[in-house]
Amino acid sequence: MIKLQKLTKYYKKHARGILGVSLEIKPGEIFGFIGPNGAGKSTTVRTLLNLIFPTSGSAEIDGLDIVSESIEIRKMVGYIPSEVNFYGEMAVKDFVEYACSFHGEIDRPYMAMLVDKLELDLNRKIEDLSFGNKKKVAIVAALATHPKILILDEPTSGLDPLMQNLFFQFLEAEKKNGTTIFFSSHNLSEVQRICDRVGIIKEGELIKVETVDDIMKTRAKTVKIKTQDGFEPTDEMLKIEKINGFISFVYTGEIKNLVQLLASLTIEDVSITEPSLEEIFMHYYEREATR
Amino acid sequence: MKKLVITEFKRSFKSLILWTSIVAGLAALMLMLYPAFKEAFSQIEEFLSVYPEAFLEAFGMGEGGLDMSDFYGWFGVEGYLFVNLIGGSYAAILGGSILSKEEDDKTIEFLLSKPISRDRILFGKAIVVAVNLLMLNTAVAFVLLIAFAIYGNINVPVWLLFSYAPFLLQMIFASISFFISVFVTKSRKVLSIALGIVIGMYVVDLISKLTDEFEFLKYFTPYEYVNAVTIVNDEMIKPLYLLISVLMIGFSFTAAWFFYRKKDITA
Repeated sequence: MIKLQKLTKYYKKHARGILGVSLEIKPGEIFGFIGPNGAGKSTTVRTLLNLIFPTSGSAEIDGLDIVSESIEIRKMVGYIPSEVNFYGEMAVKDFVEYACSFHGEIDRPYMAMLVDKLELDLNRKIEDLSFGNKKKVAIVAALATHPKILILDEPTSGLDPLMQNLFFQFLEAEKKNGTTIFFSSHNLSEVQRICDRVGIIKEGELIKVETVDDIMKTRAKTVKIKTQDGFEPTDEMLKIEKINGFISFVYTGEIKNLVQLLASLTIEDVSITEPSLEEIFMHYYEREATR
Repeated sequence: MKKLVITEFKRSFKSLILWTSIVAGLAALMLMLYPAFKEAFSQIEEFLSVYPEAFLEAFGMGEGGLDMSDFYGWFGVEGYLFVNLIGGSYAAILGGSILSKEEDDKTIEFLLSKPISRDRILFGKAIVVAVNLLMLNTAVAFVLLIAFAIYGNINVPVWLLFSYAPFLLQMIFASISFFISVFVTKSRKVLSIALGIVIGMYVVDLISKLTDEFEFLKYFTPYEYVNAVTIVNDEMIKPLYLLISVLMIGFSFTAAWFFYRKKDITA
């Protein structure tokens, strides 16, 4: 549904854009696109929407070229920007009507449901809304026409946890209808919750694409031990830290070796847990950095 | 695109009303002063005679210029300038902000994520500029029509030219500002530059009339293209000037389009 082939964007003034990003997103998939601020997430999104032009490489959405057939693409794309900047002097309802008028029919009952659940006041002016409420306007405007594809650039920023939860429910419902969702975020736990696959972008380069399940299935474990004994750190121990008397590290080697090591130490306390996506993410990052 | 044009029009409507009131109001004010002025004309003529010829010419009152005791001459000297200067300022502000405001406020990201081509966005906005300016000038036309009717004779060609020649000048300023706003996206900066051009061109116009050696400058200032003297005395805009104006407007809009269609819209 969305296919990027060595997509590259250099900026003249700002050094980094994106470099040779290739990936393929299947129809009906929720694809998480994660990386820290400045990694190239927004550049990718903006290139897909043809706000900016690729320096080289290409991309297709539903078989259409992102540059020459952008208008056809934008007809079927709902977009939620990371920073919502809409016409402040417009009332929410006028704005939503205007935004949807470009795409076609609004599903009125569905829109009413969205507005109701998000507790959005349609009569207020956009300039009077808080950041979070502006985000809600963006959500309604993007979803109300049931677009075939959703491109979301940090869509949950500004939403409180309750609203985030609602938003995820909306996305799950859209996914059931067959909507393909490109979900850019720096928040790994939300990506973990909603996405089928995840691409990790760092300094403009896509360094890993995996299913969320596979990432979680990696043999890496978070190990915390309390001991007075010293031991020699191995290459398989990453992110070694001392926190509150505990030594903590992410272990990526054979479990057997870990157990042998632990058996040789005088241990006061120990915990071995599945690492969070954050830690796995750090793991990829650090591994890349040491290369 | 219809929806875009309507929305843009609504967004610019308040400022249109404001500027139209100012321009039409000033024109009306100058026209109302005419009877009082006419009575005192002989004294004023004496007063004006001490000024050098070049000075009078700069304001259209020199040899072969306008007859201030005549109603059309009076408006040509006293009212028309305001319409051009203030209407020109409005045009520059409108043309310079209609595009740059979207980038300055970052609403362009919204608009360009919608299925509408940049060509249509530019075309739609250019239409809104032209329609707004036409409406402003139509309001002035009404004021003039009423005044001319009250004071006696309506010379239709002069009336039409006084009403709509400023449109040409305004479109020149609007299109130049529009072009600049493709590159300078901070609204404030665009407006300073645009207003600088409106005032600067007026100064150029004055210089070209005050001095013989700089007379050639008249070809570079839109104020000369829509000169009141030609309108009243010849009942026309000189074809050469009309051609230059149309070319300038066409070139500015086309150049804006040419660069904008390939422009990166960065945050």
